[in-house]
Amino acid sequence: MKRFIVAIIVSLFMLPLATTALAGGGAGPPTDMLKGKFIEMNAAERTVVLQKDATEELQTLTLGAAMQPEDIRLNKKVLVSLDKHAGEGVIKEVSIMFMDMTPNKMISLLIVGLVGGLLSGFIGSGGAFVLTPAMMSLGAPGAVAVASNMCHKFPKAMIGTYKRWKYGQVDIKLALTMACTAIIGVQIGVQIQKYILNHWGNAGSNLYVSVVFVIILILVGGYVSYDARKLAKGGSATGNETPKLAQKMQKINLPPMMNFKVAKVRISAWVTIPVGLATGMLAATIAVGGFIGVPGMIYVIGASAVVASATELGIAFCMGAWGSIQWGLSGLIDIRLTLLILATSLIGVQLGALGTTYVKDYMIKVVMAATMMIVSISRGSKIPGYLADLGLRSPLDPQTANILNQVSFWSLVAALGTAGLIITVAMVKGISADRKSKRAEEALMHG
Amino acid sequence: MTMTNFDKTMSAAAFAEAGEHKTAKEMLGAETKQPHPAGHGAKSKPYLSTLVYGAISLTAYVYLFKNEQLITTTFTKGGAYTWYPVGTAFFFSFIHGAFASNLLSVFGLEAKK
Repeated sequence: MKRFIVAIIVSLFMLPLATTALAGGGAGPPTDMLKGKFIEMNAAERTVVLQKDATEELQTLTLGAAMQPEDIRLNKKVLVSLDKHAGEGVIKEVSIMFMDMTPNKMISLLIVGLVGGLLSGFIGSGGAFVLTPAMMSLGAPGAVAVASNMCHKFPKAMIGTYKRWKYGQVDIKLALTMACTAIIGVQIGVQIQKYILNHWGNAGSNLYVSVVFVIILILVGGYVSYDARKLAKGGSATGNETPKLAQKMQKINLPPMMNFKVAKVRISAWVTIPVGLATGMLAATIAVGGFIGVPGMIYVIGASAVVASATELGIAFCMGAWGSIQWGLSGLIDIRLTLLILATSLIGVQLGALGTTYVKDYMIKVVMAATMMIVSISRGSKIPGYLADLGLRSPLDPQTANILNQVSFWSLVAALGTAGLIITVAMVKGISADRKSKRAEEALMHG
Repeated sequence: MTMTNFDKTMSAAAFAEAGEHKTAKEMLGAETKQPHPAGHGAKSKPYLSTLVYGAISLTAYVYLFKNEQLITTTFTKGGAYTWYPVGTAFFFSFIHGAFASNLLSVFGLEAKK
């Protein structure tokens, strides 16, 4: 326990050192956004007076061409997106910051939280890729959804890390090493995003994110699934053999060499750096760094799937805590959303963590591969729309666009559902087998 | 060579069938003592802590949603107010996390030793 607390304090202390690093999910809070309340409107002149949050400063803004005076609600906290191309102080879009919380919305958040937590506890990451879209579809503005999700991620990862550390699965040194390099990776990722955003605008950025998502998920997910299938068919007795690439990497004797006791790996720091950088870059691009962090730790560094997924939780804690502070400084966290997801995800993450003690190592790879492959469908179905936005293909008719959007959302739900189901079945089987063997022992004892 | 639980159980069964009850019991003894220090019974379940943490957590949730207007407005002021949502998330993760952990123990869901 003492070592764990020291590690938490050290990682929290290290976070402010990376002053410009942004959240582990996306390019940080947007800058062309204002937050406050509308206190006055002149419908004839199409102007509104916004009282800015915190400073209470008043600013007069003009409604953009697509906006109607009816879209403006006075005395409600709003997020105002500005259209910088249309001139100074022109409103592009207004979204109410706090959606009305109905029982249906609460139940949806609780369910998604539970399955997201289960996945997180089991494979070390996940949940984020479906939680943000889910919150947005319930009516939260994008920035608020990202911020609230981030703020639920780090306490969940902290509890998950603690549990799995107690089971002896977390390599704290590996987690801190990876987190340090990942924070630098996030910065590189953010710079690339900014470059693309400046040159090709929002549509270009969306296209880039989706293409990266699909390519990485199919390549990595495909390999993980091939490997898992090989192990499931009895390629090895334990499923714990070090992959060939990792064996080669471990032979590179380039100082400084690092010893990771829990992962049982001695490897050059120069090998861990690219893996951490890639994790951070992916986190900044598609918000789920774990999709490269976990396979990277397994296939490049040579940790077992159990240790890799547990260590990823530690990395998620560091990056999530830093991200939450960044988004919190912009005042975008809706604590109600955060806590509703947390209510069930804290149960899910512990359930997922204890589940790993009952299953064979390859089950973690199976769940991961399945999730990655289905999520890639979700992102892939967005690509035609973005290509059309960039004028690289003819515009989509509304019906096709709608179908593609539905496919995208429901495949995310399917990914979460499938993963939840595989984990539950594997866990129930493992627990009942364990209980049977214990009962047999007891029967022998007394018989 | 290390023996798995299954190996030990099967060897013990072989001894028991051969009439060597003492050896069989010895083989299993080392295995069963550790998870069940109290003897036969499963260790007592943490009903009280589940109830206490559950009550604190529930009260905090009810309080938060009763005052959601005030809380959401204050927590999103940005700047130094960042510590409100971050601190609250920490608070809930400890209290609610402890409740969740105890709840799983009450349901008999423990990690494999």
